[in-house]
Amino acid sequence: MLVLPLIVVFVFSFGARGPAGGYAPGFSLENFMNLGARWAAFKNTMVLAPVGTLACAVIAYPLAYFLALRVSAKRRTLLLILVIVPFWTSILIRSYAWIFILGGKGIPALIAWMGFGSIQLINTPFAVLVGIVYGYLPLMVFPIYVSLEQLDKRLLEASADLGCPPGRTFLSVTLPLSMPGVATGSMLVFILLMGEFLIPAMLGGGKVFFVGNALVDLFLQSRNWAFGSAVAVALVLIMLVTVTAYMRATRRWAGGRADVSLM
Amino acid sequence: MKSNPTEADLPIAELRKASKHFGGVVAADDLDLTIRRGEFLSFLGPSGCGKTTALRMLAGFETPSHGDVLLDGKRVNDLPPHRRPVNMVFQHYALFPHLTVADNIAYGLRQLRPKLPAADIAKAVDHTLETVRLPGFGKRRIWEMSGGQQQRVALARAIINQPKLLLLDEPMAALDKKLRRDMQIELQSLQRSLGITFVLVTHDQEEALSMSDRICIMRSGRIVQVGSPRDLYDRPKNRYVADFVGKSNFFSGTVDSVSSTTCRISTATGQMFSGISTQSLTAGQAATASLRPEQISLTRQSGHGVKVRIVALIFLGEHTEYLVRHDTLGDFLVLVPRQSEASEGRFDLGADAYATWADGAALILADD
Amino acid sequence: MTDKIDYISREKFLAELMRYKKGSVSRRHFLGVTGLGLATSVLGAALPGLRGAARAEGSIGDRVVLASWPNYHDPANFDAFTAKTGALVDLNVFGSNEEMLAKLQAGGTGWDVFVPTNYTISTYVELGLIEPLDMSKIPNYDAAAFDPRFAGPGTIDGKIYAVSKDWGTTGMGTNTSHTNGAPLTSWKEFWDITRAEFSGRTTVHDYQLTTIGNALKYYGYSFNSVDPKELADAEKLLLDVKPHLFAITSDYQPAMRNGDAWLCMCWTGDGKQLNRDMPEIQYTLGKEGGEIWSDFYAVPVGAPHRDAGYALINDLLDPMVNMAETLFHGQPVADSRVNAMLSAERLADPILYPAAELLNALEFGAAQTLTNPDRAELMARFKSA
Repeated sequence: MLVLPLIVVFVFSFGARGPAGGYAPGFSLENFMNLGARWAAFKNTMVLAPVGTLACAVIAYPLAYFLALRVSAKRRTLLLILVIVPFWTSILIRSYAWIFILGGKGIPALIAWMGFGSIQLINTPFAVLVGIVYGYLPLMVFPIYVSLEQLDKRLLEASADLGCPPGRTFLSVTLPLSMPGVATGSMLVFILLMGEFLIPAMLGGGKVFFVGNALVDLFLQSRNWAFGSAVAVALVLIMLVTVTAYMRATRRWAGGRADVSLM
Repeated sequence: MKSNPTEADLPIAELRKASKHFGGVVAADDLDLTIRRGEFLSFLGPSGCGKTTALRMLAGFETPSHGDVLLDGKRVNDLPPHRRPVNMVFQHYALFPHLTVADNIAYGLRQLRPKLPAADIAKAVDHTLETVRLPGFGKRRIWEMSGGQQQRVALARAIINQPKLLLLDEPMAALDKKLRRDMQIELQSLQRSLGITFVLVTHDQEEALSMSDRICIMRSGRIVQVGSPRDLYDRPKNRYVADFVGKSNFFSGTVDSVSSTTCRISTATGQMFSGISTQSLTAGQAATASLRPEQISLTRQSGHGVKVRIVALIFLGEHTEYLVRHDTLGDFLVLVPRQSEASEGRFDLGADAYATWADGAALILADD
Repeated sequence: MTDKIDYISREKFLAELMRYKKGSVSRRHFLGVTGLGLATSVLGAALPGLRGAARAEGSIGDRVVLASWPNYHDPANFDAFTAKTGALVDLNVFGSNEEMLAKLQAGGTGWDVFVPTNYTISTYVELGLIEPLDMSKIPNYDAAAFDPRFAGPGTIDGKIYAVSKDWGTTGMGTNTSHTNGAPLTSWKEFWDITRAEFSGRTTVHDYQLTTIGNALKYYGYSFNSVDPKELADAEKLLLDVKPHLFAITSDYQPAMRNGDAWLCMCWTGDGKQLNRDMPEIQYTLGKEGGEIWSDFYAVPVGAPHRDAGYALINDLLDPMVNMAETLFHGQPVADSRVNAMLSAERLADPILYPAAELLNALEFGAAQTLTNPDRAELMARFKSA
């Protein structure tokens, strides 16, 4: 049952568009040959998904660190709830706030008022990146938080005891031991970003186009299911390759430790 | 290290009126302690007595709320742990799970600035692995090592920097009894051969007695008595120490008379005990007589000592431990060596016997 | 229903009501951008406890599912319908005909009534997706009262498959405070100013029919052209313009209102709403032509609450109800019975009722424009470029 949709998509990807849209059976590689027509969408996704994941990790880590190691247990619960609460509302609604903040009456107005000239933020890759970081931050914060929370604090004392100053202790103990959390969070965020379409549609104004948007268009607007299936197959393949490579890399990096789980 | 004779006489570490408060809780209260260069000192006491806090003040993980911590004559209250020439073997070891055995051991050396050449570090690691009898284990992962092996790695990691003080926080708590015994002997010989001052924290009196040059007995955040194991056994300052160090029978009474050499007390039922006292006592004061089980003997001949009945016995090989019951003194322990059993024969459960002890054998302790 | 004055005062009352409500009704959000109108599918359906018991008036069930467009119905009319019949109206909002077609082709929509545009109806009939209407169930529909220009496409091979809802045009909305008060008047100006003074300030529909159609008008080609050479020209123009666009979106009201966008490809109703609230935004038609359209009510084959669907269509075509509708959504209707009740002022509104010479230049979308794969793929290439 789980793979059935995948099989359907795979079969469809060799077919053709029906006369009024939809799917017509057939066998040709034409859809795959045409993938170049969606190059920009693939390029945007392949650039913004990793960059977005990285940006998420860079912002989430200090937040998770602060929550796990620098806040009293009582306030921690409250702050954790504050991190989750936005996640309960639809990304659609939250993105609307950003449309306003990044729109002409928001930050750009402030920047113009301060005399730094006029800039456009909304409907740019930057706006999409902001939306991505905002939308996926909790997914990144939590695995990192958990790995930092579970970190044996005596290891930090042991490091200090052996003559290691706090900054270096962070680099040689805290960071490596919380990497499983970073890896899990990155994997979650990256996989979801590869299929993202809402944030680019809302904050990219239709101009920053992801593969997800190409799929929505192909299935719901131009109704070329066969080509849409080919794009989906290509996306799945790219994800399989990158995720496998990523897992290999993190496993090698973790020295083949049995207890480093990625998911 | 400089071989200056006057410096060698200086204590390696000192606690001076050191106290530590956590909120309203006093974890360590006015600790005064001198740690001698090269000695094996143990902090002994039940959990929550402040022994770990004392150790952590020496390591630098806790800053005293009042008083001072001195290392090598210098006040180090504000010196953070990573700048103290002190290393610790943590309870449950706290080994770095992401590093190999060799990298764990080399960790301290790698922190030195200017950096040591890698070859020197490797050599020192190999040497230390041999010292803790784990040659060739360097490439192993921590989780591939047994509990006893992990303990040795923790030890190696802590001694490689040749600290002025090696602090051991219940290092053997996680080992089984047999392994613990071996490790105790090994630690002792290691301490002799390295010449490093060891400070051990333990709640196991046997461990403290068997390994330490001196023991610091603690209770409720305070130091009760510091001394050699023999001192503490023979001259416990009070009932708490006597109870904690070795086994003893206690009989409560009132001081009858005090002389320069002996003190005499009688129990409410008129039983008399006499012996030296370790504190000054005055007549009429409540006091306790302490008699070690081995100071009491059993005989079948009436007219000697007090009449008792055997209520339990434990055969210990060299000795047999009897729990006997007296009408007014209650139950107490008697340790009978095998050779005296040979003359008196075994006492059976429920049998009557007479318990005797030499006049003046008791220790008269103030109640506390 | 004899005193005309009485109806005009009623109209004024409704206009007040509409003005009162207009702030609260922006569900445009879901439009186009997401392509996922279905996601808005109705909470009410899941909460049967909130409904009143089904009333008498035949037993049409307690629910009717309507697939329509954003800002396109007066909620008060639905409430009144529910009060009368006991059937709750579940409104699913969509942003394009393509999307509705895609859903119906995929099957299992659960819709009872939906709102297709003129040029899609023949395709739905060909694909067997809609049924010929049982006119006996829609007594409020008086064919003679409807302008055949707008109602005509609902009849295929002599059978009525869809009844007229309203009609409108596709023009442009110009924020005239950036043009010294003068609105644009041609598609040539529209595309040229976008690549010059208005760079980064223009929005076009996320909808192939109008965006490609109006690009074709730049060259004077037919709005409906599927000629490869002409489409190639349009694509060239669109790709050239793309970096200068503020957005490709059918949800352009927010950006126009907050000043981010100065020029938008615009439908009558949106033009009316924007102009009403911000008079500096003016709605005009391109003098080269462009689109005129009419929307319909139709019943999908296999509608689960068929009777309720017919009852809803009939109710919405009641001239009184339909008048409330047109006052709410700002599109003109083709029913002369409704127009007879509207004020002269409204009937003279150039946004709703453009001058005849402008109107004459407009084209209805053609069926092949909807289904043509080249246009669909052109739009997709434009978006993903």
